[in-house]
Amino acid sequence: MANVPAKGGLRRSLRSCDYGCQFAAHDSPVHRVGAGTKLVLGMLLSASAAGGRTPATLGALVLVTLCYYLAARLTLADLWRDIRLFMFQAALVIPLYCLVHGTGKGLWPGIRISTQIILFYLPGAVFLRTTRSSEVMRGLRRVLPYRVSFLVFVSVRFVPFFFREIADITAAQRLRGAKLLPRQQLNPRNWPDLFNCLILPLMVRALKTADEVARSAEARGFGAHRERTFFQADLLIRNAGEAGTAQQSEPSAPTEKLLQGNEGRAVPRCTTR
Amino acid sequence: METKTERIYLWRRFTLREAVLLCFCATFIVLTRAGLRLHLHMPGHVMFFTMFFMLLARGFVPKLGSVTLVGLLTSLTSVLLGMGASGPIVLVKFLLPAVLVDLAGFLVPGFVTSALGCLAVGVFASITRAGVSTGVEYLMGMEEEIIIGKALISAGFSGLWGGLGSLAVPAIIRRLRLNGLIDDGTEGSLDA
Repeated sequence: MANVPAKGGLRRSLRSCDYGCQFAAHDSPVHRVGAGTKLVLGMLLSASAAGGRTPATLGALVLVTLCYYLAARLTLADLWRDIRLFMFQAALVIPLYCLVHGTGKGLWPGIRISTQIILFYLPGAVFLRTTRSSEVMRGLRRVLPYRVSFLVFVSVRFVPFFFREIADITAAQRLRGAKLLPRQQLNPRNWPDLFNCLILPLMVRALKTADEVARSAEARGFGAHRERTFFQADLLIRNAGEAGTAQQSEPSAPTEKLLQGNEGRAVPRCTTR
Repeated sequence: METKTERIYLWRRFTLREAVLLCFCATFIVLTRAGLRLHLHMPGHVMFFTMFFMLLARGFVPKLGSVTLVGLLTSLTSVLLGMGASGPIVLVKFLLPAVLVDLAGFLVPGFVTSALGCLAVGVFASITRAGVSTGVEYLMGMEEEIIIGKALISAGFSGLWGGLGSLAVPAIIRRLRLNGLIDDGTEGSLDA
């Protein structure tokens, strides 16, 4: 997410994102690398983290992973947000080692294991920080059947919808006296209100919405065929541009180009039934 | 309500309506996960709503594979929304408890209406999730004694939260069934 200066002052300007592993829109070499390459690179780094046991190897790995992280133009504040949870874990692991082996013998193994765990997960954080959802989605479409990738898309698409629904239901129920404020939920005696006044109406809403979405999709013939076509504006524009150049030499090229899928194979034309 | 004329959409088992409903359960898990990560820092608390919605999904669609589909969709959506810092392990983190809930549903089809059944499944499935991070620590070469100690703490908290979340499911399922909003799960025992 882009930086929003001013209101929050220095503390806010130090970080580029609101929560850990959130996508950060920068122009960096890592951002420009393809999602697949980043995944392979991340897996290599994670595997190396699992193998690095000596201080020298571990030091080198910390350096390489940090360079990879900072090459994505992410700040140290971002790094803290990404590894914060693992630092809490380290605060548990190191004392456990010291407790079992004594401080002298247990300190280094505790630090080593904690560092290895952070190094194991950090490439994943870089992947999420530097890869757009649309890129991941496009990648998913290549490996998953379209019926499953459609469900993933629906799942993502309905996050803001249900977020609004939750806000609306909460507001309405609070007007009726339901104790739904986060502060009130700290008291377990108010939990029945959470389930009866928020979760239950939300489930009824979800059931009705699922019905509407399914009917709407089926009415459009969705799921009737084994394969489906996708509208990809960028591909269409690029192919149209290439076709425009090729038109002078070969008149039939544009139509064929426009009907080419991502993998270069012809995709079935849209049919109406 | 589902009609007999509905076309099967996925895995020769689920209609489009059922699949969309399950994907909404995944959405709710992601939503609550996002909400909790911003406010709470208690170990295992994520399992409260994860188990709640997973068991609810089993109640909504009492067919084998329904919770596994929710687990799969949750992990993929988490990755898409930037919540899967653990990379491919996030898949196992959600799939493992989901498969266990499905397995429990296969063995005891009507467990979602029993508080004791839900509690047992919720606690057990939550504990397995803690086992995933234990696997990573084992790969890193952590000592068994430490692994066991840490796993016990982590599993204890996860089990506690997961169990609490599961306890709320039977009442909601019963109320939705009483109002005819979901099937009672008795028909199609082969699917269940």
